[in-house]
Order: sequence, then structure tokens, then C-alpha cells
Amino acid sequence: MQSSRIVLHKLSKTYKRGDSEVRALVDVNATFEEGEFITLFGPSGCGKTTLLRIIAGLESQSEGDISLFGNSPAQASRLKNIAWVPQSSALLPWLSIRNNVLLSEFVNKRADRIVGSTRKAEDPDEVLADLGLADFKAALPAQLSGGMRQRAAIARGFVQGAPLMLMDEPFSALDELTRDSIRLRLLDVWEKHRKTVVFVTHSAFEAVMLSDRVVVMTPRPGRIHSIVDINLPRPRTREVLESREFEEKVREVKHILREGWGQDE
Amino acid sequence: MTNLFTKSNILRLLAPLIVFGLLYLGWQWVALNLKSILPPFGNITAEFLDRPGFYFSNLWVTVQAALIGFAIGGISAIVLAILMVYFDFLRAAIIPVALLLNVTPIVAISPALIVAFGFNAIPHIIVAGLAAFFPMLINAMSGLRAVEKETLDVFNAMSANRTEIFFRLRLPGSLPYLFSGAKLSITAAMVGSVVSEFMGTSKGIGATIVMATTFLNLNQMWVAIFLSAVTSLVLIGVVSLVEKALIRW
Ligand SMILES: Nc1ncnc2c1ncn2[C@@H]1O[C@H](COP(=O)(O)OP(=O)(O)OP(=O)(O)O)[C@@H](O)[C@H]1O
Ligand SMILES: [Mg+2]
Repeated sequence: MQSSRIVLHKLSKTYKRGDSEVRALVDVNATFEEGEFITLFGPSGCGKTTLLRIIAGLESQSEGDISLFGNSPAQASRLKNIAWVPQSSALLPWLSIRNNVLLSEFVNKRADRIVGSTRKAEDPDEVLADLGLADFKAALPAQLSGGMRQRAAIARGFVQGAPLMLMDEPFSALDELTRDSIRLRLLDVWEKHRKTVVFVTHSAFEAVMLSDRVVVMTPRPGRIHSIVDINLPRPRTREVLESREFEEKVREVKHILREGWGQDE
Repeated sequence: MTNLFTKSNILRLLAPLIVFGLLYLGWQWVALNLKSILPPFGNITAEFLDRPGFYFSNLWVTVQAALIGFAIGGISAIVLAILMVYFDFLRAAIIPVALLLNVTPIVAISPALIVAFGFNAIPHIIVAGLAAFFPMLINAMSGLRAVEKETLDVFNAMSANRTEIFFRLRLPGSLPYLFSGAKLSITAAMVGSVVSEFMGTSKGIGATIVMATTFLNLNQMWVAIFLSAVTSLVLIGVVSLVEKALIRW
């Protein structure tokens, strides 16, 4: 039963710098269902990136356990079952967009021979088309706008075909208009493939717009304050996004954060 | 076609031309008034046209030593830089040695090399190689380490192995640095080769310059100097062409 879920159990992380210690995460417990869109929402320094990196196996926890559909992060990573979408697009400047998007097929080929490997790469041309990049397959990253590069990075994540996608503020470097349209694109593609997504953001609006559940985190020490259900209909059309219910949810999430943080922003 | 004559293009061509013109006039003035310092350009050109074979055969000796030295010095620098990226011990061990090598006037080792290896091409190749080594090492090291952390995260999240990270990320990413290094290295190798020929040999552009000094042949001296400078420029140009062909991003 546990193997169809992501379970975070009593996770904590302490960074030691000389004599001083930073408690980046304290007693983090949560369960995410397969196919859910989860956002980690909270102010700077509350440990969102730390938590995401621990889930990805890029960082190790000080205490506690993680199960990603029955695997440890290291095992899941070895199976190429984790797709990582960083803040900058991190595309390789010397590869065409199509080859960039196919990165997962060029590396760690051993993963595809491991028995029980269920990951299957998606068709890059289809994913690129869905993200509006059909005409830029042969282009180099430098020839694309920032928003297009970020879409390519998301395409790379989907093409990997991993059941879990981790995204750390992938839109934070974009302007507001670009961000708006790229969020909708992301939702479209996600509806189609239904990966489990853990998405980090500073924005209550973005969190509510994208997620099934919003994990509200507070800093010093970093911890989960509460998890808010976003029971708004999908697909999240413009209509939904302009509804009273949506606005109320955004206000609710902001309110919960302020209450937990004990600070007026 | 039309944009060939934009203001900035004209400026880019004209500005250096003016400076060269002024230098030329200054040179000719000195040559006419202080004969023992500089020969007039016409004489230098005449000297070269009189026996181009002599100059080219000597130049070839120098270039050969420079190129072999550049190849050996450059390649060993790259190999060492690669090892230093992966083995902290090597990095800690080699950096002080490389710095020491860099502050040592390599040309001053020349006599010792001649004593050790005799009157042949080897001492000159070694000087050229040592001169080429350091700029390449520094650039290769920066290039191989200049990997964006976020890109590395993408690779690590899918458990890419070291070989893949090297060939798919570090090496292509370091190419621009390797070419900057190569341009510095090839010039350094050329200078090393010329200067090392001041001693222990009668062949090469360096030896030609020394010979000219003994016979107070200013024309010969300046032909040799200009030839080695032009050759360095050509070598840098060749490296740039390869760079343009290889780096298209
Ligand atoms: N490598 C590290 N070494 C020491 N301390 C760290 C390290 N990484 C993060 N921290 C500390 O851990 C805490 C949480 O950092 P983290 O980056 O996870 O926060 P965040 O919620 O992602 O913040 P932001 O919204 O600014 O990205 C911070 O106090 C930070 O200074
Ligand atoms: Mg962060």
C-alpha cells in the first residue's frame, strides 16, 4: 500500500557550519499520493529547497526516512525515476533543444536494464509540441527566449518519463506574463501525463493554481505548518482561476502562512 | 554589402590603420635620422626578398619546435587538469609546482637543458613545451570546473555516472576555455622556441637574430623579429578558425 505513495517520516536536516548549526528542517511528516500535484509553499529560508533536494537524493537527511513509491531516493535515482527541474533551465548550450530534452536517454543507461524498471521515456517530439516548442527542436538554447528555455527544461523533465518530478521555483526568473502562460502549459502537459509533482514556490497564487495540496512551511526552524487541500475543479481553466473560490483559497493559504509564521509581511 | 561601411566598421578598420601609419612614420623618421637604431622599412623588405628561402627554412625550425612543444605541453596540461578535477590530492600537490614553474624564467633553464640533452632540437622543444604548459593548465582547470551547479544537479538526479558527466558536461563545457588556453599557449610556445634558440644552436629564427647581432646586421634582425611576430599571429588565427568550426553555440 505504501509503495504507491511518497512518505516522509520524521525528516530533519541540520547544517553544521563550524560551531553554529542551522536547523533547516525539523520533524517533517507527510504522505503524497501517486499522481498528486503538491507544492511546497513558504517564505525564504523555510527549507523548501532542502526538502526537495533530500527527496531527490541530492542531499541526505540528518534523521528520518523517505520512501518514494517503496524506494529510497538513491534507488529511485538509480532507476532514473526522479526528474529534476531546477530554477534556471540548465540546458546544455551545445546541444539542440531536442537533444537536450533527450538527456535522460543519453546518461545512466544501466537504469534501463535493471529488472523492475518501469520508467518509459516519452516521445520528445510530442512533449515539445505540447509545450509549444515544435518549431525549435533544432535550435540551440541560446536562440530561445528565457520562457522557451524554461519550457524546454520542463519538457526534459517530462520526456524522462519518471513517475516523480521535482521542480524548484522553475518560473522565478521569468516575467509575470510569461509565467502566467507557462503555468497553464505546465498544467496541460501534466494533465496528460499525470506524474507526481512536488513543486516549490514563493507565490500563494501559483501554489493554489497548480496544486492538489499545498504544503505550507514556516522558517526557523524549517517545518511543515499545515497541508491545505485545494479542492478546485480541474482542468484549471481561466474561469476557475477567476472564480471567487479560487481567490478565497489564495487568501486562505496566505492567511495560514501568516498565522503560522507569526509575522506581518 | 551595405553594412560593410557602417560607422563602427569604418572605425574598427580606420583606427588601427591610423596608429600603424603613425608608427610607420615614426619608424622611418628614426631610421633616416638615427641610422644605427632602426633600418628603413624598404631595406628590411629588400633583405627578406633577397633570400626568403634562408628565412623560411630557419622559421620552420622554430615553428616545428614550437608546435611540438605546444602539443606536448598543451596535452599534458589538459590531462593533468582532468586528473586534478577528480583527485584532490593531485590538485593540492601540483598547483604549487605549477605556480613555481610559472614564476621561473623558463628560458633561463635553456643552458641547463643544452648541457643535459646536447645540441639538438630537444632543449628547444622542452622550453616551448614548458612555456605552453602553464596557460593551458590554468584554463583547462577553470573550464573543467566551470560546471553550473544546477546542471550538475540535473545529471545527479538521474544518477549519471562520472564518465557521462565528464564527456557530456565537463568536456564540452570546457571547450571555450581550452581554446583561450590554446591561444595563450601557442604564443608562449613560439616565444619560448625563439628565445631558447639564442643559445646552443645555429638554426632557427632565434639563432638568426643572434647571428644578426654579431654581424650588426640590423636588416636581418628585423626580418627575423617581424617573421616570428607574424607567425605567432597566424598560429593564433589557425586556433581561432578551429575554435569557430568546433564551437557553434
Ligand atoms: N548547504 C548549506 N549549508 C548550510 N546551510 C544551508 C545550506 N543550504 C541551506 N542552508 C540553510 O538552510 C535553511 C533553509 O534553506 P533552503 O534553501 O532550503 O530554504 P528555501 O525555503 O528554499 O529558501 P528560498 O525560498 O530562499 O529558496 C536556510 O537557513 C539556509 O541558510
Ligand atoms: Mg529555495
